[in-house]
Amino acid sequence: MRDTIFTRNRSVPVFIAILTLLAIAVTILSEAYGTGALSVSFTKVLGMTLCLCLAALAMDLVWGYCGILSLGHFAFFGLGGYMIGMWLMTARTEVVIRANLASSPIPPTEAEISQATALQIFSVVGAEDWPWMWAVSDSLVLSLLLVVLVPGLLALVFGWLAFRSRVTGVYLSILTQAMTLALSLYLFQNDTGLRGNNGLSGLQNIPGAEGVGQDRISIWFFWASALALGLCYVGAAWLVSGKFGNIVRGIRDDELRVRFLGYPVEVYKLVVFTLTAMICGVAGALYYPQAGIINPDEIAPIASIYLAVWVAIGGRGRLYGAVIGAAVVSLLSTYFTGGRAPDLNLGFYRVEWIDWWPVLLGLGFVLVTLFAPKGLAGLVDYLVRKERT
Amino acid sequence: MSTLLEVSGVSVSFDGFKAINNLSFAIGLPELRAVIGPNGAGKTTFMDIVTGKTRPDEGTVRWGEMGHSLLSMSEAQIAREGIGRKFQRPTVFEDQSVWDNLRVALSKPRGPFASMFDRVTPEDEARISAIAQEIGLSDHLRRKAGVLSHGQKQWLEIGMLLAQDPRLLLVDEPAAGMTTEERNHTADLLKRLALSHAVVVVEHDMEFVRRLDCRVTVLHEGSVLSEGSLEHVMADERVIEVYLGR
Repeated sequence: MRDTIFTRNRSVPVFIAILTLLAIAVTILSEAYGTGALSVSFTKVLGMTLCLCLAALAMDLVWGYCGILSLGHFAFFGLGGYMIGMWLMTARTEVVIRANLASSPIPPTEAEISQATALQIFSVVGAEDWPWMWAVSDSLVLSLLLVVLVPGLLALVFGWLAFRSRVTGVYLSILTQAMTLALSLYLFQNDTGLRGNNGLSGLQNIPGAEGVGQDRISIWFFWASALALGLCYVGAAWLVSGKFGNIVRGIRDDELRVRFLGYPVEVYKLVVFTLTAMICGVAGALYYPQAGIINPDEIAPIASIYLAVWVAIGGRGRLYGAVIGAAVVSLLSTYFTGGRAPDLNLGFYRVEWIDWWPVLLGLGFVLVTLFAPKGLAGLVDYLVRKERT
Repeated sequence: MSTLLEVSGVSVSFDGFKAINNLSFAIGLPELRAVIGPNGAGKTTFMDIVTGKTRPDEGTVRWGEMGHSLLSMSEAQIAREGIGRKFQRPTVFEDQSVWDNLRVALSKPRGPFASMFDRVTPEDEARISAIAQEIGLSDHLRRKAGVLSHGQKQWLEIGMLLAQDPRLLLVDEPAAGMTTEERNHTADLLKRLALSHAVVVVEHDMEFVRRLDCRVTVLHEGSVLSEGSLEHVMADERVIEVYLGR
C-alpha cells in the first residue's frame, strides 16, 4: 500500500482548487482587472487575510503537529515585515529624494543622496545617519534573504537554548511570550534603529512601480499571498505526510517513546520551530506592504496569542483547520472592529462591537473548546464522513 | 558469550531515598535474564539508568565489546547504540496506524532530513510484514494503535523493539494484560529473541518467569539479593523472607 501526499492529505487538491477559484473570483471582481465590485481596500484585506492564514499554517505545524505551544510566532511574522519594510522605505525615499534634488543647480553626489535619504527616514527619531541594521536595505535580494534568515536565526538560537534545556509545555509558552514582549519593547526604543514607535510606514508604495496604481498593486500582492499560501500548504502537507510527520506527531503525543527509539527529539523540534518561523517571516513580508505600516505594537504578546486562538478555533492538527480558523476569525475581526458592523441597540444598552468583539471572540473560543474540541475543521471532517457513509 | 552490558557499583537516590544501592549487574550476548523483585525494589530505576533517563550518583555502566561508558550519552544516543526499551505501560503512538508505528521504529537513519526524504523500500515493507506476522497484528496494520486491546498494544511495542533491531532489549512487564495464550506466545517470542539478542525481562508474574526458563536476578531495596535459576532463588531464605514478608 503506497502512501502519497494525496492519499494522506486529501485536502490538498481541494484546498488548491478553492484557493485558485478564490484568486480567479477576486481578480474578476477587482478594480484593476475586472468589474470593480471589490474595493482596493477590501482586496488588500483579503490578501492580508491569506498572509494570516499562512502564519496560522505555520502555527499549526509547530503546535498542532509538534505540540510546541509557541506564543511568540507573531514576532517572526513582524520581523519578516520589518526586513522587507527597510528595503521598501529606503528605495522609496531615495526615489523621492532624487526627484527633489534633480532640479538643484549642482547635481547631487551619491553620498549626498544617501545622507538626505537617511535624514528623511530617521529625523523622526532624531537621528540622521543609517543605523547598522540598515546596512543591506538598499538591496532587494539581500533584504528578501533577511526575511527568512533573521526570523530563522532568532528561532534557531531561542529554540536551541530552550529545547536543549528540555523546557516544555506551559514554561516554553511563557518563554516565547517573553521573547516577543522583549522584542517589541526593544523595537519601541527610538535609538534601536527601526524608528521606534513610529515603525516603518508608506510600505504600500512599491519602489520601481511608481506609475502603477494601488488597484493593481493590491491585486498583485493578493496573487503573491495566494501563491505563497498554496506553495506552503503543499509543502506542509508533504512534510507531515511522510515519516517526518509521523515522528513529529509522535513527539507531540509521546516524546519519551520517540527519544527511546533513538530520534534526537531536540533536533526535530528545532527544525520545526525554525522552519515555521521562516514561514511566518515570509507571511509577514507579504502582509505589511499591503497593510502599509508596521510598528512594534504588531508584535505585542497578544498578537501571538491570537494566532494560537485562530488555530484552536479552526482545529489544530489539520492544515486546513488552521487556514479556516485564521480566515474566519480575522475576517470577522475586521468586520466587527472596522466600524462596518451596525451597533446593536438593546434599548437599555447599546452594544458597540469595537468594544464587544473581544468578548465575542473569547466566548467563541470557550464554546469551541467545550463543544468542538477539534475546531471548525472537526465539523468539516464530520460532514465529509457523513457524506461517505 | 561475551559481556554486553556491565553495570557496577551504581547508586542513585531521590530526595534521600536510595532507589538503587551499589547495584552490579552484567548480561552477555546472547542471553535471556529475568529480573524480579517486590514493588520499589528498583527494577524500573535500573532500566532508567541503563537507558539514560536517570543519571546515577556513582558507579559505572559499560557497554559493548569496547566497554564504552553510557553515562555521558543522551537517551537517543543510547537507543542508537542498540538498547531498546519497552515500558511498563504500553507506549505506542495511539493516533497513528500500526504500520506507521512500525515504520517509525525501523532501524534507519534517525536525522530529520533523512526522515523527510525517507522512502518505503520493498525491504522495509517486507520487514514490517514479517514483524507484524510475528506479533500477530498482520490484519491490523491499517488500524490506529489506539483502538488495539491492551495485549495487542504490548505486542506492538515489542514489535517496535524488534524493528529497531537492538542488541539489548529491556522489557518491562511484557505479559501484563494478556490472556494465558498470549502470554505463552510472548514468552516463546522472547526466548527465540534471546538466541541472538541480550534480553532483560522485568516481570511480576512467576508463572511467566518460569516459562522463560532462564537465569533470574532478584532485586531488593536497590541491590541484587540473589541470582541463579528460578529454583535456586526461590529456595533462597532471603528471597522467601522478602516475598512472604517479615
